[in-house]
Amino acid sequence: MTAVTAARATGQALERAEAAGLNATLAWSNTALEAEAARVDSMPVPGPLHRLPVAIKDNICTAEQPTTCGSKLLEGYHSPYSATVVDRLRAAGAMVACKTNLDEFGMGSSTEHSAFGRVKHPLAPERVPGGSSGGSAVLVAVGAVPMALGSDTGGSVRQPAAFCGVVGVKPTYGRVSRYGLVAFGSSLDCVSVFGKTVSDAESLLWAVAGHDWRDATSVDRPIPDRAPARTTLEGVTIGVPVEYFPADLDAGIGAGCQAVIARMRELGARVVQVLLPHTRYAVPTYYIVAPAEAASNLARFDGGRYGARRGPHADIAALYQGTRGHGFGAEVRRRILTGTYVLSAGYAEAYYVKAQSVRARIAADFTAVFAGGVDCLFTPTTPTPAFAAGDKIQDPVAMYLADIFVCPASLAGIPALSLPIGRTKGLPIGGQLMAPMFEEASMLGIAKLLERSLDGSAEVVR
Amino acid sequence: MSVSAEAVLRLAQLAELAVADAELPALTAQLDRIVTFVAQLATVPNPSEHAAGPPEPAPVALRPDVVRPAGLARDISAFAPEVVDGFFVVPRLGAMDGS
Repeated sequence: MTAVTAARATGQALERAEAAGLNATLAWSNTALEAEAARVDSMPVPGPLHRLPVAIKDNICTAEQPTTCGSKLLEGYHSPYSATVVDRLRAAGAMVACKTNLDEFGMGSSTEHSAFGRVKHPLAPERVPGGSSGGSAVLVAVGAVPMALGSDTGGSVRQPAAFCGVVGVKPTYGRVSRYGLVAFGSSLDCVSVFGKTVSDAESLLWAVAGHDWRDATSVDRPIPDRAPARTTLEGVTIGVPVEYFPADLDAGIGAGCQAVIARMRELGARVVQVLLPHTRYAVPTYYIVAPAEAASNLARFDGGRYGARRGPHADIAALYQGTRGHGFGAEVRRRILTGTYVLSAGYAEAYYVKAQSVRARIAADFTAVFAGGVDCLFTPTTPTPAFAAGDKIQDPVAMYLADIFVCPASLAGIPALSLPIGRTKGLPIGGQLMAPMFEEASMLGIAKLLERSLDGSAEVVR
Repeated sequence: MSVSAEAVLRLAQLAELAVADAELPALTAQLDRIVTFVAQLATVPNPSEHAAGPPEPAPVALRPDVVRPAGLARDISAFAPEVVDGFFVVPRLGAMDGS
C-alpha cells in the first residue's frame, strides 16, 4: 500500500464521519491529503509513523490549513508557521489528515462550546463526546484515524477519551513542545495524544515529544524506549485514592473500576488505598488558575492582529470591545471575566494567590504518595459516562465538575492516561492511571498489560 | 450575591469585552455562581509559618542569543500590505477598510 492509497481511504473515512453528522472535522480536503501522501511517499527512509493519518485539534497551528480554535474570532486565520508537534509527526512519516472540532480555545468539557456547532458522541448522537478535544476523540473512536493530537489543560484529552472509548495520554508538563499550540493556560497546557490502542498513542507521543528551543518550558530530557511488554504486575504497587470513589460515583463506573482493581491483583500487583486529601479543592483551584491565565493569554485577540474584526476602526477601545464581545463565545467570555475578577485589585490575594498555594499542596499530595512507594495511581477518569447534550450547558459549575478526576494531574503536572475499561448501559467507561513526573514509560507499560487483560468494549457486571 | 451587575460591567471594561444589556442579568448570575464556587478555597487553612511553601520553579535556562530560522511558511513581506526598507507599512488606524 502506498501513502496515496492510505490517504484515499482516510478521505473516505472522513467523508463517512461527515455524512454521519458527527461534526468532528473542521478544515480538510482530499487535495491536501494527496499532497501529504506524495510527500510521505517521497521520503527516503520510512519514519516510525510511516503513512499513518493523524487528526490535529484545531488549536494546534498548521501553516497549510486555517487554525480557528473553534472560534468565530479566528475565522479565516492562517498561521504563518506549523507547531513543532506537527513538524515532528510529519518528519516521522505521518500525514496530517484534518483539523478537528473543539470547545472554543479548549475551554469546555463537552465540545458544545464550538462556534462551528457541537460534536456528537460516536455511539449515542444525543450525547456529548466530552471535551475539549471532542473532535479528535470521535475520529479515533470511529476509526477514521488511528491516532490524533489534542490538548489537555485540565483533562481535555483524558475526559473525551473516556467518553468515546479510546486511549488518551497526557504527558508530563514540559515533555512535549507547546510551540504552535494556541495558549489557554500556559502553566497547564500539554499537547496530548489519542490512540485506538495504548501502543498507537505511545507511538504518536514519542514521535512528537522532546526538547524544543522555541518553548522555554519544554524539558531537555531523553525520550525513553517504548514500554516493554509486561506479562505480570509483580513488584508493582498501585495506589487507589479514596477521594476518587465518592458515594455518588456512577454505579456502572464504580463496578468497572472495581473489576480492574481485582484484575490488577490477579496480575500480581500490590493494591493499596491512599489519600490525596486536597483533591476536593482541585476543581475550584483549576477554575481560578486556568481562567486567570486565559484572561491574560486571550488579551492578544483584539481585532488588530488576528482573524475577524468588528467595531468602528477610528475608536480603538470600541474596536477591541466589539471584536472580543462578538468574536468570543459564551464560555470563553465567562472565563475571561472570571480570570479578570480573580486577578483584579483587592481580589488577587484571596483568589489567585490562594489558588497557587492550594495547587502546590495538591502537587505535594501526589509527591508524598509516590515517595511512599506507589508506582502508579488508578482511578475512574470521569464521575459519569457521556452525558446528554444540553444537560450542563446552562450551568457552568456543573460542567466544570465533569473534570473532577482529571484536573488534579494537570495542576500537579504529572503524566496521566485514560484507558477504556468496559461499558455501562452501552456507554464507554475510562480508567485513569497517573504516574510520577517523567514516568510515562512505566505507566504505558501497565496500561498495555491492562488493555490486553480487559475487554474494553464489554458491558461491566454489577 | 457577591458579584453585581455593576461589577460585571467593570470587569468587562477591564477585559475589553462588549456586553449587551440583554445578556447582563444571566451573565451576572453565572459569574456569581462561579465566584461563589471557587471562593470555597478560603476554607483551606493557610500553611503554617514553618510549612514548605510552593516549590520554586526551575530556573529558566537562557539560550544563545543567535539568529535562527523563524520557520515561516510565507515570506515575511506577506505579513503587511507594503514593506519599505525592512519596515512594515500599514494604514493609519481609522483608515483601514471596514469589515
